Amino acid sequence: MASLVGIFAVSHGPLIAREWETMPRDHRDKLAAAFDEVGRRLNACKPDVLVVVSPDHWVNFFINNLPAVCIGIGDEHDGPPEPFMKKVYPHQRLKGHTAFGRHLLQTALDNDFEPALSHRLRLDHGTCIPLWRIGVSPDLPLVPILVNDLEEPMPSIRRCLAWGRLIRRAVESYAEPLRVAVLGTGGLSHSIGEPTMGWIDEKFDHACIEHFEAGDEAKLDAFLTRELPRTGNGAHEMRDWVIAHAAAGSTGFELIDYFPSPATLVGAGFASWKLPPA
Amino acid sequence: MTDYWVSKLFFDLQQDPQLAAAYRADMAAVIDRYEIKPEVRKALLGDDVGAIAPLVNAYLLRFYFQIRGMPEAEFIARLHALKSGGAQAKESVSHG
Repeated sequence: MASLVGIFAVSHGPLIAREWETMPRDHRDKLAAAFDEVGRRLNACKPDVLVVVSPDHWVNFFINNLPAVCIGIGDEHDGPPEPFMKKVYPHQRLKGHTAFGRHLLQTALDNDFEPALSHRLRLDHGTCIPLWRIGVSPDLPLVPILVNDLEEPMPSIRRCLAWGRLIRRAVESYAEPLRVAVLGTGGLSHSIGEPTMGWIDEKFDHACIEHFEAGDEAKLDAFLTRELPRTGNGAHEMRDWVIAHAAAGSTGFELIDYFPSPATLVGAGFASWKLPPA
Repeated sequence: MTDYWVSKLFFDLQQDPQLAAAYRADMAAVIDRYEIKPEVRKALLGDDVGAIAPLVNAYLLRFYFQIRGMPEAEFIARLHALKSGGAQAKESVSHG
């Protein structure tokens, strides 16, 4: 049987890549230290496969065909297409894990979920900035899960909690020994391309962290459902943290660091979840 | 209200560097390949952030003005100039 060996969540944001060499040194050091700590913990749990839960930033999908959730089941995916990513993360091909991807897809369908599937995704900065900064080997097979965090209507928080539980169920029902880690990416608050662009809503961010620490799913659901429409649009990516959180059983949240990062326009958050011994 | 064709133009520009180069060389000619409404065409040619913003996803809007070569600080300043009562209310909200 497979086992969940690590669950993590980190922010992303194109300016982390675009401005890495030019942002204030002390700020870059702070970002680097937090990413490095996540990387240290991820590498320590020696995963065989990494499930990465991210949004798609209009790279694979458009409004003529926009899945709520898409699972990448191919044995290979394409690296980031954004020009600013090619300098820092020049991997054109990333490994997939078809066997676990297919099992996750089948588990979803068997449990009345209907995700889209892809045999080859293009993994944009939302996935690849964390992989780059955390120091994930390009040889580590991925199962990408792309969640619509960008265009309304989006999956409910309740459904994201269910997705997290489903990932756990898929791991527990996988027959082969396999060490599975989960990484949610995005958030915390940020505001992109709207009149509040640049706004980092620290009050929202701290409240999110408190809800993850408390672990009460119903209260987390109620909080995010009520507050997401009232803060910057980038906070919709908290869905990816919610999925990671529920995969951990909605317990064991441990904040590695949080700080507003105006240089990258995000409330920068980094977390892992303590898991019971496998 | 989402405008499909201006959204499609922005999506295609992001996906296709050759199209983006053609757009930089002759915006009007590329716009005319899409079913863009006359008032939207005028807004595009005038870099009218305020007129275009309600028509497209906010992330596509950001990508588009990057392709247009507008510095991000200017793009943000133009967005901030649009702040209505609603946007200000959004920013002053209490997350109790």
